Amino acid sequence: MADAIIRKQDLPPPGGYKPIPYKRIPAKQFFSGYAMFAGYIGITAAGLYLYNLNYKQIKKDEVEMRSAKMAIYPMLLAERDREYLKQLRKNRDAEAELMKDVPGWEVGTYYGERVYKNLPPDTLVEPIFHEYYAHADPKEWYRRAYLKLLS
Amino acid sequence: MQGISPFLRSPFTDITGCITSHQMLGRCQKQEMQMMDCMEAYGLERGMKKCGDFIEDFRECHNLRKQYSRFLAMRKERDRQIAAGILKDDKKYVSPRIDSY
Repeated sequence: MADAIIRKQDLPPPGGYKPIPYKRIPAKQFFSGYAMFAGYIGITAAGLYLYNLNYKQIKKDEVEMRSAKMAIYPMLLAERDREYLKQLRKNRDAEAELMKDVPGWEVGTYYGERVYKNLPPDTLVEPIFHEYYAHADPKEWYRRAYLKLLS
Repeated sequence: MQGISPFLRSPFTDITGCITSHQMLGRCQKQEMQMMDCMEAYGLERGMKKCGDFIEDFRECHNLRKQYSRFLAMRKERDRQIAAGILKDDKKYVSPRIDSY
């Protein structure tokens, strides 16, 4: 009874298994170690050379820009002062126009009271920020005030 | 008039009295010196009357109250005129250019 069952056993193929490929396959080498060192040094030297050229150019540009700024600075300052004085006149006129119906008000004073009593009457008393922007649109006020806070 | 003679005088008030002044900061230097010269000449009692203008100028320079009050009065008047419809459209405000101050 037991001999009637034929069992099939798992066995290697005829001729045996193929050999296992365990050997290392190295990547193809294009450069030797010395060549790579030489290349590194060469490329770095070339890069430094170009960097140096660029650095010099940037320094030159900076000098030129600084010179230009220094050259126009007095003019910008003068323009600002001129605009400031013109605006002082505009403010004076605006004040005269605005306060003409207010009793006891004189231009440049607080209800006839001079701001500085010992200064000669024609001395320029520089306004504080609020006074300078007293006649301005609140929008302009805030623009300038934030500029003042930021800068 | 605080600052001219302390309520209780001691070596400590003498040492620290000179720390706060306008002489090193610059802006009100002239007014303060005028006031102190005047007060020195007349003393505290008479100086308070005789140096009134100097004292007032120095106070104005120190706290800018008159200039600020001027601003408040002008702004109030302008707001009133705008609300009443006297100032319209372009005449409402006289705005300076932004970089002028």
